[in-house]
This record gives sequence, structure tokens and C-alpha cells, in this order.
Amino acid sequence: MFKSLYVWTRDLHLYIGLFVSPFLLTFAVSVFFLNHARPRVSAPSSTSAEVRSVRVPAGIEAAQGLERVQLAGEVISQLGLSGEINFIRAVPKESRLVIPVVKPGVEAVVDLHVKEGTAKVSVRKTTFWESLSYLHRSPGPHNAAICGNWVWTRAWQWLADATVYLVMFLSLSGIYLWAMLRAERTVGFILMITGALTLAGIAYAVIA
Amino acid sequence: MPSLRSQSLELWNRKLHYYLGLYFLFFLWLFSITGLLLNHPQWRFTNYWQHRKETQFETPLQPRGPLSEMDRAREIMRELGLAGEIDWPAQKQPQDRLDFAVNRPGLLHRVSADLIQNRARISRIEVNAWGVMNMLHTFSGTRVTNPAASRDWTLTTFWVISMDAVAAGLLLMVFSSYYMWYRLKPKRRMGLIALTAGVVICAFFAVGLGWLR
Repeated sequence: MFKSLYVWTRDLHLYIGLFVSPFLLTFAVSVFFLNHARPRVSAPSSTSAEVRSVRVPAGIEAAQGLERVQLAGEVISQLGLSGEINFIRAVPKESRLVIPVVKPGVEAVVDLHVKEGTAKVSVRKTTFWESLSYLHRSPGPHNAAICGNWVWTRAWQWLADATVYLVMFLSLSGIYLWAMLRAERTVGFILMITGALTLAGIAYAVIA
Repeated sequence: MPSLRSQSLELWNRKLHYYLGLYFLFFLWLFSITGLLLNHPQWRFTNYWQHRKETQFETPLQPRGPLSEMDRAREIMRELGLAGEIDWPAQKQPQDRLDFAVNRPGLLHRVSADLIQNRARISRIEVNAWGVMNMLHTFSGTRVTNPAASRDWTLTTFWVISMDAVAAGLLLMVFSSYYMWYRLKPKRRMGLIALTAGVVICAFFAVGLGWLR
């Protein structure tokens, strides 16, 4: 019984760890980009185009929140774009809506002229590192009312959550597997306490 | 029969895996849990911003000669006894004003200084433990959305080094796990299936979505 628990835990630790490892690599590698890369101000690989005769859904200007995002979704699919729609900026005096659309690899802005039924579309291809950092931050805490309006953002959120739960499982099962190694208990315990004190010390210095 | 050298490598690789895991255990829990919270702003029990304590006050400032924005901000911070990471607004500052925020996890000060009247209005915002944890996750002094933001507080640098170390530790743990798995011949097939499934799904999101219409 005891041996069986150990073997099962070890196997699950191995297979779950291997499955989740690409996600961990994504999150770990993107930390360096998020902490150190200077954000790009200009976009060297941007393209822009003007599209005429866009079918603008009725009531898009008056709509708010998720309803406006859904109507904007009809516009961006006409333009051959897909992705998560971020906060839509309205310019009522000019009857314009500025619709940002983002997904890993692509950032687009649709400047929709509602009355004229025209749109200026700017598309920027992002780098691989930017894609990883986008995934790291996605879906994130902002624009909670409209966040997850693209199916793949919701799918990624589910996977990011699953990664957290699986990391919790890996760490707890890892503690169990380490505790079974009697000879390693003292060194491991010292390291665990040292790690906890390091975290507490740095966090205290930053907070207090 | 494996050589002594490969046995020693295997042993130290295994030790590295669990020593790193144990050392970074609480860091990993902090970043995992806060990552989950950041992705679920709708969870009420962690909604720290609604429960923030905000106070405002005004104070006179000592008149200063011509200084750069950064030097003037530092002078004002010293005068007010504030410490933290300076966060600049994205817009250009008017000549007679200086607006900036001084942030540290859990405590934010928004300073709005009138350089003609030599007065500053300060808004002090304190958040609860959930807020502190969330802010620790993102506290790097840089912002993807604001190119002007850069690290200017020594303790931010220390925290960023800690985050980098956790990330580097995680990378080493992942690669050491690959080696351990490779050495376990009977587990190779099932392990390959699990790893391939992870790689395919992750690559779809990192690269494939860009091609999706």
C-alpha cells in the first residue's frame, strides 16, 4: 500500500511534470522579457490599410461593455482579423471607434468610422518573445467586464489556471518524494527554510 | 553498466532538481497563487482595490531651482519621506506641474505638485494583503504599455533579481527533469506522449494562434 502510493506519486510527478513543462518554460522565459526588455515604441513591421464599405452593426456606438465588444467582433471578422478585443475607445464627435485586437503574434488597431462605414486597419506582427510575454500576462486583471471575449483567450486562461493547479500538485508531491529520502532531509529542510527566509526578507524590505 | 561519471552526473542532477525545488518552494507558491488571482479579478474575496484605504492631504514644498523632472521628484519624495518606485504618467508634464506616483507593493502615493505655488497634493492608497501579493507578482519597475517607465529604486532591482532567479531556477528544474526522465528507459514512451501533448498545445498558443484567421 505504502510502496504503491510512492510509485504512483513518483509516476504522476514525472508525467504531469513533463506535460506541464512547456507551459512552465513559457512562463519562466517570458519573465526575463517582462522584467528587462524595453517596450518597443515604434513598430517596424506594421502595415496599414484602408477598407471601404464595412458593414457596421446597428447600435455599436450606443452599446456598452461586452455588447459593444460583440458588435465590434462582427466588424473585425469582416476585416479578416481575429483575437481578443481590448478596451474600445469611442470618439463620439467624429463618430469613430478605435478597436484594439490582440493575439500572440499580432497586434491590430481598427479605426472604425461608423457613419462612413470605413476602417483604417493597422497590423503589427509581434516577435516570438512578445507573444510569450503576452501569454504570460493573458488574460490578466484588466478590463474584467470584457476580458475573455475570444474563445482562445478563455482556453488559455483555463490552461494557465491548470498550470497553477498542476504546479501545486508537483510541489506537494515533490515534497512527499523528498521526504522519503531520509539522507536528504536535513539539507533539504535547511534549503527550504533558507528559501522561505530569503523570500520573507526581500518581500519585507520591499513592502515595509 | 553506467560509468561512474554518468552515475555522479545523474546523482547531482537529481539533487539539483529537488534542492532548487525546495529552495524556491515558497517563491513558486507566491507566483502561482498570485498568477491565479491576477487571472480572476472577478473573485470577490481577493478584490483588494474595493477595500483600499485612501487618504489625501496637501503640503507646502520648499522652492527649488531648475531641476530635471527626476531630480525634482526625488527632492519632493525626500521632503515628504516617501520611498518606492517612481511611476510617470504616459503624457508629457506641463511646465508648472509635476505629477508622478511612488509605488511599492501595498502602498501607493500619487503626488501632484504645483511648481508655481510650491504645494503638493498627495493621495495615499493602502491595500490589504491580497493587494500586496498581487503587486509583488508584477512589481518590476517596467511597463509594457509605458516606454518611459524604468527601474529607479534599488529594492525594485533586488526584487527583480529574485524573480529572475526563480525563473532561472524553474528552467534548470525543467531541464534536470528531462535528463532524469531520459535516464529512465521504461518511462520514455509514456513520458514522450505527455511531453508531446504539452509541447503541441503550448506551441499552438505561442505560434499557431498568430496564423489563425
